Amino acid sequence: MHTDLPYAADAEVSLSYDELEVLRRQFQREEEQGHVTTQTKFNYAWGLVKSPQREQQVRGVHLLQEIYRAEPSRRRECLYYLALGHYKMGNYEDAKKFNELLMEKEPANLQAQSLAALIDNGVAKEGYIGMAIAGGAAAIGTLLIAGLIRRAARRPE
Amino acid sequence: MVQTAASSSRTNQPGRIMEARGLSNFNFSTLGRAPLRLAMKQPVTSQDLGILESTPDLLQTPIPEADGVAKEISLLKGFNATIPSSEKGKARRRQVRNVQFDDENEGEDSSHRKLGMQARGMLTEGAHNDEEHGTHGRKRRGAKRGDALTASKILGKEELSRQRREILQDKENLHVRRRLAQAEIDEITRKINSLDLIRSQLEQDLLRIQEEDLELEDELRGVQERAEFEEQQQGSTATFQPSRRRKGPAFLPSEHDDLPHGVAFMTLASHNAPITALDISEPYGLLVSASQDESTRLWDLSSGEEIAFLRGHTGIVKCLQVEGNLCVSGGTDNTVRVWDLRAVEDEEEALNQSFVGSLASSPRFNAPSIPDAEEEDDTAVLVERPKPAAPARPRGCLRTLEGHTKTVSSIYFEDACLVSGASDKTIRQWDINTGQCVLTMDILWALSHAASQPAPSTSPRGSTFSIPGLPGASLLSAASNSFSFPSPPMADGSWDMYLDFVGGVQFWGYALVSGSGDGAVRMWDMRTGQAHRTLVGHTAPVTCVQFDELHIVSGSLDKTIRIWDLRTGGIAETLRFDYPVTSLQFDSRKVVSCAGESGIKVYNRTTMQMSTLVTNGHTQPVERLRYMDRYLVSGARDSTVKVWAI
Repeated sequence: MHTDLPYAADAEVSLSYDELEVLRRQFQREEEQGHVTTQTKFNYAWGLVKSPQREQQVRGVHLLQEIYRAEPSRRRECLYYLALGHYKMGNYEDAKKFNELLMEKEPANLQAQSLAALIDNGVAKEGYIGMAIAGGAAAIGTLLIAGLIRRAARRPE
Repeated sequence: MVQTAASSSRTNQPGRIMEARGLSNFNFSTLGRAPLRLAMKQPVTSQDLGILESTPDLLQTPIPEADGVAKEISLLKGFNATIPSSEKGKARRRQVRNVQFDDENEGEDSSHRKLGMQARGMLTEGAHNDEEHGTHGRKRRGAKRGDALTASKILGKEELSRQRREILQDKENLHVRRRLAQAEIDEITRKINSLDLIRSQLEQDLLRIQEEDLELEDELRGVQERAEFEEQQQGSTATFQPSRRRKGPAFLPSEHDDLPHGVAFMTLASHNAPITALDISEPYGLLVSASQDESTRLWDLSSGEEIAFLRGHTGIVKCLQVEGNLCVSGGTDNTVRVWDLRAVEDEEEALNQSFVGSLASSPRFNAPSIPDAEEEDDTAVLVERPKPAAPARPRGCLRTLEGHTKTVSSIYFEDACLVSGASDKTIRQWDINTGQCVLTMDILWALSHAASQPAPSTSPRGSTFSIPGLPGASLLSAASNSFSFPSPPMADGSWDMYLDFVGGVQFWGYALVSGSGDGAVRMWDMRTGQAHRTLVGHTAPVTCVQFDELHIVSGSLDKTIRIWDLRTGGIAETLRFDYPVTSLQFDSRKVVSCAGESGIKVYNRTTMQMSTLVTNGHTQPVERLRYMDRYLVSGARDSTVKVWAI
């Protein structure tokens, strides 16, 4: 079944502070009463994931994981949201794992495919940075060694 | 060069990140991530790690096909329908519909607002100018008085179409929210049901715990009795003779625990006619059984063999009690006999020896009517030999108590005191050691005495002095010489005339309880010989009675067992059966009864459930039973005695 999922770009757009406050209050109220409906939890989790602050993203992903554990019927959607959350936080490996699991179930899912592409881009970017650092470190290393050799070569003179 | 450097870095550098995450793969992306992390100064919180750690578990959990509400309304749809901004359209439309009264006086307070404030009691500027405001309101530009508000506003096509779209969207949202609410309700109902299930299971557990508690109470009392006994019996060698009321656990061989529960594991089939009475000394000890074939047999329960006959009674023995080695019986020959079971064994041995020794001159006397299954030589024995050649053979019957004028139908003894009830409508108290009748209690007298009392006293039931028991069981029938009551048919359709007026007796100290043929259960004081209380309830003769500290339990031919509260005399419980009840025994946890069927009925008092013992059981209605702890003995019309492990 084709599920109705948001594109990754939607996750970059955050809610206003007031809106998030309302969601948070709703969530807390239901928690006090004892039973939190899945929709409320998801609303709050999604709002948190969309926010730019990392702490809130972490909390959002945590709530999504709770939903994943508790509701078997919602798990497939949660795969996507978890992948999205991890992608935003920068955990590319986990994001990739969840997304791949989702794509196994729904190969034709457009959002999943676009998210897969984004994750690959992210991994590649980090790889470039890594290469740059490694290259820089190597360069500095060679300079140092050259300097040492030159010093050693000068001494005997 | 970069590549070699890269390869070297791959093998040489154990990144801090790798240590933190325990990863085995290390590539450029993780290397690139490190400076990013350091730059942003991300504290690695426990939540962070928690999320990361739970990932592999989550990946393992199965993902079922989404169905039900999850299929209809995705989370995102629900999100968009329930977030506060979904209400915005409605608010906007309402604002659009807000009509401005005075376009030219927008700066000032509108008159309506002023009215509202005045109604609330707040001062407004120019409050004294009511009149002016009234006229002021009339001068609305472009609108005459009496025109509806809608006429003053023109919305425009674009606005209208936008509103239409928004309304449809809102309707969708409402549908989504309704669906979500229904789904939650279903979910909660399901949870409530499962919690209910758990609760009912816990309640059953509670009942079981209560039962065990009662059992432990009994055990405790038994242990205390034994402790007292052992304290007292420092020097003497008397064996522990617990009273019949002992409730604690009996000493059973260990193999008894291995026996299957609720199954008759031993059958003793020597009698030729329905069993009329039985009793045991202890589990796996001695059993005495009597039947309509006028024989009373002694059995060894550990081997299942018949040891001896109890010779002495003429006629059928109707009631028995065995305590240790002492046995007491009453029968249709109007006598009560006291037996020493060891002596009975010896007597049998002596008889057998002399029989075996000399066939022709076997000294058998006093027993012309007993059909001895062992003997083969009828003719030789029937001839009375007047002279016993051998020395006096041991006599099993110690004493014969005579005094009743009719069949002795129920009996109970404790220590030296014995009480017997007979069909001559009297209950006699005897001293076993002397053999004398100490007291005679006349039920007839109690009946007539009760009836002749003039006014109804403060009887709590309000029921006055109707003759207790059977309706129309008038004094007449009670006074008549012979008492007989047709018993309702049993499970196999058989029935007979019930002739025993006193169905059961039991006493403790000076308190005696009797159940009689007029359906009344009477409580007597043996010091005075008066019945001080009569429990009315049964509508047919009472066949069996037992009491303990709290309750009296009586069974009767009216197919019920009634449990009476000892203190108040009121009925605590009534158990109904399909056939007449002939025998019962109870303790704090159960009531075991013979209720006219081949199966033995066991009623659990804590769970209020009735069960039946049928496995390997009798083929005809059970008549008598007796149990001790987990060892039960039953006798039935099929002439067999069966032993059960319960």
